[in-house]
Amino acid sequence: MLIAQVSAVAIFLTMFFLIVTEKVERHIATLGCGFLTLTVVFGLCMRSGRAVLEALSLYSIFQPNFWYQMGAATTSTGINWETITFIAGMMIMVEGMAESGFFRWLCMEIAKLVHYRPIPIFLTFMVMSAVLSMFIDSITVILFLAAVTVELARLLELDPVPMILSEIFCANLGGSATMCGDPPNIIIGTSLGYSFGDFIANTGLMSAISLGIIVIYFYFCFRKDLRSSDRTGQSRSCPDPKEAITDRRSFLVSCLIFGCAVVLLITHAQTRLTVSCIGTVIALATLIAAGPRAKGILMRLDYKTLLFFMGLFVVVSGLEQTGVLELLAALIGRASGGNAMLIAAIIIWGSAAASAFIDNIPFSATMIPVIKSLAAVQGADLHTMAWALSMGTDIGGNATPIGASANVVGTSIAAKSGHAISWGRYCKVMAPATVIVIFISMLVIFVRYF
Amino acid sequence: MSEPLIVALGREFGSGGHEIARSLAKRFSLPLYEKNMLEAIAQTRELDVEHLARYDEQPKNRLMYRTVKGFSNAPGDALAQMQFQYLREQADAGRSFVVVGRCAEEVLRDRPGLVSIFVLADRDFKLARTMERGAETTGEALAIMTREDRRRRLYHDQFCKGKWGDARNYDLTVNSARLGIEGTANILAQYIHARTSQGEADKP
Repeated sequence: MLIAQVSAVAIFLTMFFLIVTEKVERHIATLGCGFLTLTVVFGLCMRSGRAVLEALSLYSIFQPNFWYQMGAATTSTGINWETITFIAGMMIMVEGMAESGFFRWLCMEIAKLVHYRPIPIFLTFMVMSAVLSMFIDSITVILFLAAVTVELARLLELDPVPMILSEIFCANLGGSATMCGDPPNIIIGTSLGYSFGDFIANTGLMSAISLGIIVIYFYFCFRKDLRSSDRTGQSRSCPDPKEAITDRRSFLVSCLIFGCAVVLLITHAQTRLTVSCIGTVIALATLIAAGPRAKGILMRLDYKTLLFFMGLFVVVSGLEQTGVLELLAALIGRASGGNAMLIAAIIIWGSAAASAFIDNIPFSATMIPVIKSLAAVQGADLHTMAWALSMGTDIGGNATPIGASANVVGTSIAAKSGHAISWGRYCKVMAPATVIVIFISMLVIFVRYF
Repeated sequence: MSEPLIVALGREFGSGGHEIARSLAKRFSLPLYEKNMLEAIAQTRELDVEHLARYDEQPKNRLMYRTVKGFSNAPGDALAQMQFQYLREQADAGRSFVVVGRCAEEVLRDRPGLVSIFVLADRDFKLARTMERGAETTGEALAIMTREDRRRRLYHDQFCKGKWGDARNYDLTVNSARLGIEGTANILAQYIHARTSQGEADKP
């Protein structure tokens, strides 16, 4: 087993190295390392066909529980097909919405409603970023929001950087509030059997409190940058929001589908529909409504991200099935002396620190078996650790320009428009904000769960 | 050569590449694009040129910057793309020019009027020139040469299929130490004349 463990760790570290250095595309890195896990770790070292089957987890798709929750939610190892199906479904829905011009229209409409005044735009875009990210992946939210922000900033003669930074933070914060906002939450939710409502009641509360404080924080950080250019909003002619809508029918249909998705997600604990079922329904609805454009939407599907997830789950399964993650859990247990509050603190701060520098998706996927082991062996409350892990991984990524994908996309759009954001400028504002939110989250966890 | 003349010149640090490029630009009465491109870009896009200059020809630090869905947040990447776009626009507009570095031999590879050159030199030649430019000791000069060449190589190879300084990627690779700066510029000018004359001869 020692050879299997060493192999699993070596493959995992290799995967991280390849992802960080971008020597190959990340889905190639995870798929390649996943293949090595199956052949070397499970095949050669463990000689276990069962381990391979558990890692691939294909049987789960054919279980009724994959589509409709019957009885208690079950947790699983290996490829989390529920996560992948849900993400794919949401991707298709978002493609349909983007194609119709929904996101650009929404941004422009809000800007128009506040009469193109910089500070109201700044405040409303932050809130919009958080709210949209509760249901839509933060990369898409920032992709559109940052682009519109750059455009508006040019028209209003503003520096777009303060707005983009605050939108990035709020996107990651909003994503932490729900099960479908950020990939780590999707993974945590589907792996541990939590519902949309569970997240809202727990991480949603922490996010809501934090959002109020963070909006004030960013206002005080950037008010001078925005006030100095505060005009009546009539400097140059701003585009009509209606011009953003490419096709009125598909716009209305995509709004309807999005509304249905939100309702299905909010009520899925009551309806017992799983997120994979919801994702599939939403995807089919979008494709059927798209008609001849369905092929184009499917072609634009980010299959590389889906493949990335598949490979990642297999590699993490290698760590899990060889017992490496149990060892890590034991280490945390020893370091904390079995103190449940300390365990929660280690998880939230440790996750935050790690997520600031490494991709939070592999990190959260790796930590799930760790917290399960901690719950089983140390007697720590699994739910508490899950919320700590969720907030740590989702918010920690805000601290640096590379911590989360939304950060990369937002800063990239800023750089392309000539407003490159250095590490210094980014971290000076965002790192303290991250610490504030993690601190608030830790306080809420301590007060509420202990 | 009936097409606009574009001379793309890559260079090792201390080889005199800039001086040779300036000499060629003067001989052929062409504008020279190097750092001054930033001013044109800054003016067009209403940006701060000093802010842009910080990231000119800077390779991406893979530990500090990432790429997600084709979006790279490395400031140097964004500026590089702006410069590539600028060069393409100049070429599309039918302008002739000389350009130093900026992966021009790859960016403008499909232009028939392109003449791509790489200037290198012997170590001692580059060392002497680097000492003339302010390095106080040999060690310092060598460190500067190594650091700058490494930066250029990383920057170039990040965007280009061909490797920096690989003779297969250029029409001509020349050692400026053999004939000196002026002598090298003379030879290169002769080559360019021959290319342009061939182009004229090929006209129907």
